Amino acid sequence: MDRRSLMKIVGAASAAAGLGMLPGKASAAEKVTIALVPGLTADGFYVTMHRGAEAAAKAVGADLVYQGASEWNVSLQVPVLEAVIARRPAAILIAPTDKTQLVQPLKKANDAGIPIVCVDTFIGNGIFQTGSGEADFPISYVASDNVLGGRMAARALAKALDGKGKVYVSNTKPNVSTTDQREEGFKAEMKNFSGIQVLETQFNDDDANKAAAQVQAVIGRVPDLAGVFGANLFSAGGTANGVKQAGKAGKIKLAGFDAPESIVAQLKDGTFELTIAQHPAEIGYFGFMAAYAQVTGNPVPTAIGTGFTVMTAANIDDPKVARYLYKSS
Amino acid sequence: MAEPATKGPAYTTILVRIAELRAWLFLIVLIVFFETWARLAYDVSFVLNTYNLQSISVFATAPLLLALGQTFVIISAGIDLSLGFVMGLASVIAAHTANYVQAVLGLPPFLSMMCGILAGIAITFFPGLVNGWLIAYLRVPPFIGTLGMYGVARGSAYLFAGGMTISINNDWYSAIGNDRFFGVPLLVILTAIACIIMHYYLSQTRFGQHTYAMGASQAAARRAGINVKNLTMKIYLLSALMAGVAGALYTGRFTAGAPQAGEPLLLDSIAAVVIGGASLFGGSGNIWGTIAGSLVIAVIQYGLVFINVEPFWQFIAVGAVIIISVLVDQTQRRFLGGRQVE
Repeated sequence: MDRRSLMKIVGAASAAAGLGMLPGKASAAEKVTIALVPGLTADGFYVTMHRGAEAAAKAVGADLVYQGASEWNVSLQVPVLEAVIARRPAAILIAPTDKTQLVQPLKKANDAGIPIVCVDTFIGNGIFQTGSGEADFPISYVASDNVLGGRMAARALAKALDGKGKVYVSNTKPNVSTTDQREEGFKAEMKNFSGIQVLETQFNDDDANKAAAQVQAVIGRVPDLAGVFGANLFSAGGTANGVKQAGKAGKIKLAGFDAPESIVAQLKDGTFELTIAQHPAEIGYFGFMAAYAQVTGNPVPTAIGTGFTVMTAANIDDPKVARYLYKSS
Repeated sequence: MAEPATKGPAYTTILVRIAELRAWLFLIVLIVFFETWARLAYDVSFVLNTYNLQSISVFATAPLLLALGQTFVIISAGIDLSLGFVMGLASVIAAHTANYVQAVLGLPPFLSMMCGILAGIAITFFPGLVNGWLIAYLRVPPFIGTLGMYGVARGSAYLFAGGMTISINNDWYSAIGNDRFFGVPLLVILTAIACIIMHYYLSQTRFGQHTYAMGASQAAARRAGINVKNLTMKIYLLSALMAGVAGALYTGRFTAGAPQAGEPLLLDSIAAVVIGGASLFGGSGNIWGTIAGSLVIAVIQYGLVFINVEPFWQFIAVGAVIIISVLVDQTQRRFLGGRQVE
């Protein structure tokens, strides 16, 4: 949590850098247009990020173009990116769908004088402007640290379980950078709790039906299963249903990831013990501000980390927590 | 049309009967395998276990509901790729309608649920009729026509949902998806009713027999006086309606409408129909086979987690079972000299 306030300061500084340019820019004949290309369009996380970027655009009087592919897929994202480049925006914010395959397409844009900011996911190793390597050209990487998110989920779940019991991770597909990192963080943190045993991860292909059946099968084999970490929306939702079908609601503690509005009721009725909310609106806002600062000739931090909020039944009514729910409007 | 089995020599008759039960035999082999493993490794029973039976049967309902309509389509020598997102669209519309009717019109939860379910199913008339129209009247190949509808249904579902999942707060609706009646999950009862109705339609009505005829040879069916265009419209409409039922029930079970609800189920539904003995070239297949096919997929996926097989092996196992099943089918067809199982 304290990390978050630190990030706020960093963010505020970059925002201020952007805002400082406002008077000079407002008189300019041309409005600055910045594009945001999400990993996929049909996802509450990116919808909320879009909203954050829009707020930033409005704050500085710039334009935002939002175009993306409907699926998380390199061969669908690259054509969208190329169409966006063709419109010559002043800068591009992008959540690259692959660490290596997006390097060349983005380099083309960078060579054409369009600065790149990576949001949520990254290219290369995610460390930019170092002067070394093929993929260090983006000016900034704005994201939440998913390993840390996994660690926070582990800590909160371990606390709810009094530090003992069997748990496992319900995950979507192998080799997706963010969900892999959550699992990695979760497992690493759980090593600090000697009473907790982490069982084999189950992959559900983003199918809630399958996630439900998997948790039922695990309960069948391990009747004393104590908790599950659902690494994304469908993993968490499907697992919750499976636990309910097995008649173990409330007995098996669930930690979720991401925070759609439906989570409020599920925290209150005990379906979920907790969920880790990312701050996608913050990513969109500060990503936009970083790009805007660059375009208007101001310094930009090469990395901006946004935080997480642990949501529980006890704190969800607090407006300071509830504002991190993902909303489309 | 259902005659050939009785006309052949006795041993062929027996083989045809065995072939008919192929998917069920396969299911038994799988269950024996998991039972043995579970007893040896964990000293528990896999199948004599109410809990496992309930879990597996609920797991099988979603792909099975899609597979029921798909069975008609595949028997008619078509394919319906739009089902996954038609299901998602129905799920979103059902959730929105139930919410709207309850919050804005102030109807009680039970009526709101009924409105939601009916609206979810009703919306599928649109994709179903358009699919049928494209394929029957504009002669678009089913693969392409329904692939186009896959995109249209998908986009519409995401638009209606605003890219999010639409949660519902309706105890009645949630009960439909999660409650049990004398230990049997309501979802399983509803799906069983759907199976019986579909079996009746396919095996006992003119509509069903015409579907087989059209799948075996569209030209012959037309010459025999079957209104092929009308029939095609009906088949794709039926398939979309079943996806609508699946979507409306999904909303109850997960208390949320999700555009991508059915996406991962589409291929499972096709696999279930094929494992069940239907030919992708049309003319053969039946509902009992499809039920067995869905159970085969559910048992494998559930069983592998139950006996704790490493996740990556699970992908391989499911793929291998589909291939083996189709290979068995091909061999049997060759052996029986093209005799078709209906």
